[in-house]
Amino acid sequence: MEKDYVTVSEINSYLNDKLKSDLNLRNFYIRGEISNYKTYPSGHSYFTLKDESSEIRGVMFSGYKSNLRFEPKDGMKVIINGKIEMYEYRGNIQLYAFNIIEDGVGELYVAYQQLKKKLEKEGLFDKSHKKQIPKYPEKIGVVTAQNGAAVRDIITTIKRRYPVCEILVFSTLVQGDMAAEQIVDQIRNAQNYDLDTLIVGRGGGSIEDLWPFNEEIVAREIYKCEIPTISAVGHEIDFTISDFVADKRAATPTAAAEIAVPEIDELKYKLEQFNTRINNSIMDKLDENRTRLNQISKKQVLKNPETMYNIKQMQLDGIMGKFGVISKNIIVNNRNKLFELENSMMLKNPELITKNKKEQYLRNISKLEVLNPLLTLKRGYTITKVNDKVISSAEDINKDDEIEVVFDDGSINAKVI
Amino acid sequence: MDNLSFEESLEQLEEIVNKLEKGDVPLDDAIDEFNNAMQLVKICNEKLNNAEESIAKIVEDNGDLIDFNTNE
Repeated sequence: MEKDYVTVSEINSYLNDKLKSDLNLRNFYIRGEISNYKTYPSGHSYFTLKDESSEIRGVMFSGYKSNLRFEPKDGMKVIINGKIEMYEYRGNIQLYAFNIIEDGVGELYVAYQQLKKKLEKEGLFDKSHKKQIPKYPEKIGVVTAQNGAAVRDIITTIKRRYPVCEILVFSTLVQGDMAAEQIVDQIRNAQNYDLDTLIVGRGGGSIEDLWPFNEEIVAREIYKCEIPTISAVGHEIDFTISDFVADKRAATPTAAAEIAVPEIDELKYKLEQFNTRINNSIMDKLDENRTRLNQISKKQVLKNPETMYNIKQMQLDGIMGKFGVISKNIIVNNRNKLFELENSMMLKNPELITKNKKEQYLRNISKLEVLNPLLTLKRGYTITKVNDKVISSAEDINKDDEIEVVFDDGSINAKVI
Repeated sequence: MDNLSFEESLEQLEEIVNKLEKGDVPLDDAIDEFNNAMQLVKICNEKLNNAEESIAKIVEDNGDLIDFNTNE
């Protein structure tokens, strides 16, 4: 039961959240008449917006005010772009203005915003669709009014900057109900003339004057146009739909011409620079090669060819010298060997050789003794003979044969039984 | 080389300048490039110098082109 109530702060905060969560109130256009307009030292402006039967408090913060192209005054009929929120401290529901437009133009402005949003969504302003403006065009087309200041500005500027460029003017109305269609026709027509760049525009004017360049058909034609297009409508502060859809936006017709063509003097200077740099670098190259040639030809060998011969001669001398030493060494070595042989013990004492040979003979004899069969008899073996022939197989002996059995120390005769 | 656009000629020139300034091009090639470059400079200069006052014309509804005089 204790928490049966809410605080004022809580209810205001709750209400404000409700307001903020309503998308219809976040960004919309409202029409009315301004009264009690007052700007405070902070730069924020406070006012009341009203119609015949109702009113609402409004505020425009200084940050947004810098976008305003006029100072709002009491009694002014306006269209305000803004949002609704509660100022919780006072419990006031307020209009927070982003932008204020004078009514009349206000309706156009709303239409402009809606078309802009629509085309943007369709991708007509996409950067990826934008074509590069040629740097050095030979033929430029201008879609504008032939009697306007814009065409004069463009032609004068192009002639001054880049007189090598040809200009074709496609005349059209640039304001009024007929203008949009004519602009579309001429953009289409211009594409038959082999142009490098197309400028579409007019001089500055009121939003109504500029309106054709906010028309959907014009925007779509510029989008379709195969020639790189520069939009040049009005003075710097006027943005039209054409500006967004064109490949490039220029603030004024003169600026469009400046974007469209280079400055011929700058180009000539650039060419001159290239010329100088190329000449310098080829000179450097030649110098570098000449220096190398000089250095090479200065070398002793090329100056006095006999030095090459001298070098080889010296090398040969070296080899010959070495060869002398080596052959001398061979002779000395062999001589030493001979001397050693001559003086060897063997040759000096031939009896040593006989002694050696005798010893070797005796060693061989003792080896032979091992193989002597008679020695085998000593170990108890006997030799059996028949008629003085040694018998090595039992089959060679028959019953009653007389055999001789030889022992180490003598022999006996026996009879086979 | 004659049918290069002005922009292409300039780009080629710039390329040659950078190549030559690097200095690692053999002498024979460098001389060839140099001759090409001189040709390009000549062509570009002709394009820039030979043009008289640029002509502005207005395209009539019937497709005729008539001189457009800005001094009227």
